[in-house]
Amino acid sequence: MLRLTLCAACLAACLSTVVLADSQWRAPEEVLQALIDDNESAYLTQSEQNIMMMPDNAALWVAEEGAALFSEPRGPNNVSLETCDLGKGPGVVDGAYVELPRFFADTGRVMDLETRLAHCMTTIQGFSADDPEVKTRHGSDSDMMKLQTFIAYRSSGLPWNPPLEHPLEQAMRDAGEALFFRRAGTSDFSCSTCHGQSGKRIRASVLPSVNEPHEWSKAISWPAYRVGQQEVRSSNHRIRGCYWQMRQPQSISGSDAAIALMSFWTDAARGQPAILPDKKR
Amino acid sequence: MSVDRMMIRYPTLVAAATAALLALPAATAAPPSPQAAYTAMSPEELADYLIFEAGGFDLEAGTQTGGTARERMVQDRTQKVCSAIARAGAQLDRATAAKISALADASIVLPEDGLKLGDWQRGEAVARSGFGYRIGHNPDDHDSQPPGGNCYACHQLDPNETAYGTVGPSLTGYGRLRGTSEPMLKHTYQILYNAHLFFPCTTMPRFGHHGTLTPEQMADVMAYLLDPESPVNQDLPQTVEADAAAQD
Repeated sequence: MLRLTLCAACLAACLSTVVLADSQWRAPEEVLQALIDDNESAYLTQSEQNIMMMPDNAALWVAEEGAALFSEPRGPNNVSLETCDLGKGPGVVDGAYVELPRFFADTGRVMDLETRLAHCMTTIQGFSADDPEVKTRHGSDSDMMKLQTFIAYRSSGLPWNPPLEHPLEQAMRDAGEALFFRRAGTSDFSCSTCHGQSGKRIRASVLPSVNEPHEWSKAISWPAYRVGQQEVRSSNHRIRGCYWQMRQPQSISGSDAAIALMSFWTDAARGQPAILPDKKR
Repeated sequence: MSVDRMMIRYPTLVAAATAALLALPAATAAPPSPQAAYTAMSPEELADYLIFEAGGFDLEAGTQTGGTARERMVQDRTQKVCSAIARAGAQLDRATAAKISALADASIVLPEDGLKLGDWQRGEAVARSGFGYRIGHNPDDHDSQPPGGNCYACHQLDPNETAYGTVGPSLTGYGRLRGTSEPMLKHTYQILYNAHLFFPCTTMPRFGHHGTLTPEQMADVMAYLLDPESPVNQDLPQTVEADAAAQD
């Protein structure tokens, strides 16, 4: 028990050295509890067990591994990611994730966290796009999920605030909205079929509604540990799973279609605090 | 897509893209699709471009019906109109509703040998199964089991089943309330085939129109809904308290 407490203290120290100075940062379990206290939502409260287990979320350990990975000199160039610009300047991790996707002048593109990380790993550390460090996108053991979870954790409690000042950011957000409502395929489904109404269920699962920002904030809070899969999963993994259920083609991680969808869904949660990392069914 | 074809479909895009490419310093890696051109498109045009031209999806994968994944993303008239209305958050106007309904009416083929109730037990299996037609990273193999209708994902049916969805209305007692007259059989078959006939821009899949359920499967689902023997049409289960009260 003592060892566990020490480890937890060490984990908090490791991850929170810088963020504790930021008054907006809050532990994910506190963010979720505050949302539940302030709102009536069957979606937010549907799993009592998951709520109870939030402080022991396995994703926190994945974030810790990501923290070490972020500052470790790696790749052919033997440098860390501490000069990676995630949108708020080189090396700034705090609050970076809630302001993604965003336009990056150095690439001329709107990029999400995963795409930007892959960009930093190839341009700064010298990895090739085919190296497993960059190419493997799924699973708690992948570098990509460790790094994403660490970076996201440092935005926990901060309000979603993706910039829309650049015309491309607005164009991607609007295309994402069109994709969200776009019905196609053998079942005529779109994202809005399941996420356009409040308080509805598929089988026994309560669905989050895009029209309820307090629910939507949890819905888009990825990375999250998925209890049923025993893995930390990303936004791109969620999109792929939804398109599979919709009987539509496989979504490609890092594609502009996926980034556009994330631009829309992050905008839909604007102002609500992020729960990072989250725990989901 | 060839430049010629792009010129026809997206003349502004090509001009803007060319300008953007020329403006980029040689050291900057040219992105696969220059985003600078995106602002020249409407949201729907850009969404379609991202799907079909910019590598958003694995469109070359096969499907269970021998086609390609690309065909799944091509919208028909009903899908296109209903998507736009949902995105605008608009009420369906009467003229559009009538058009969507007429498209549905034209799509429906009734069985040549007349409408009959099938087997409610087979229908129950169809109603419970969410298997079928999923593609991509984990495609459903229709040789391993037949595709289902996934009715329980959205509807309550058997009052004893607690894991039912609420996206659609409850259908518990459907047949008990309606009976099994010829017009009711036809009405129910039409809803399963293409529900837009009565509910334009409904979220319900068009099972007959897409052929995702066979006429036999739809007849079986009709039996599950309408047959007096079906669990859908039985009384609500007795609670322990009610049983105890009855024995007193």
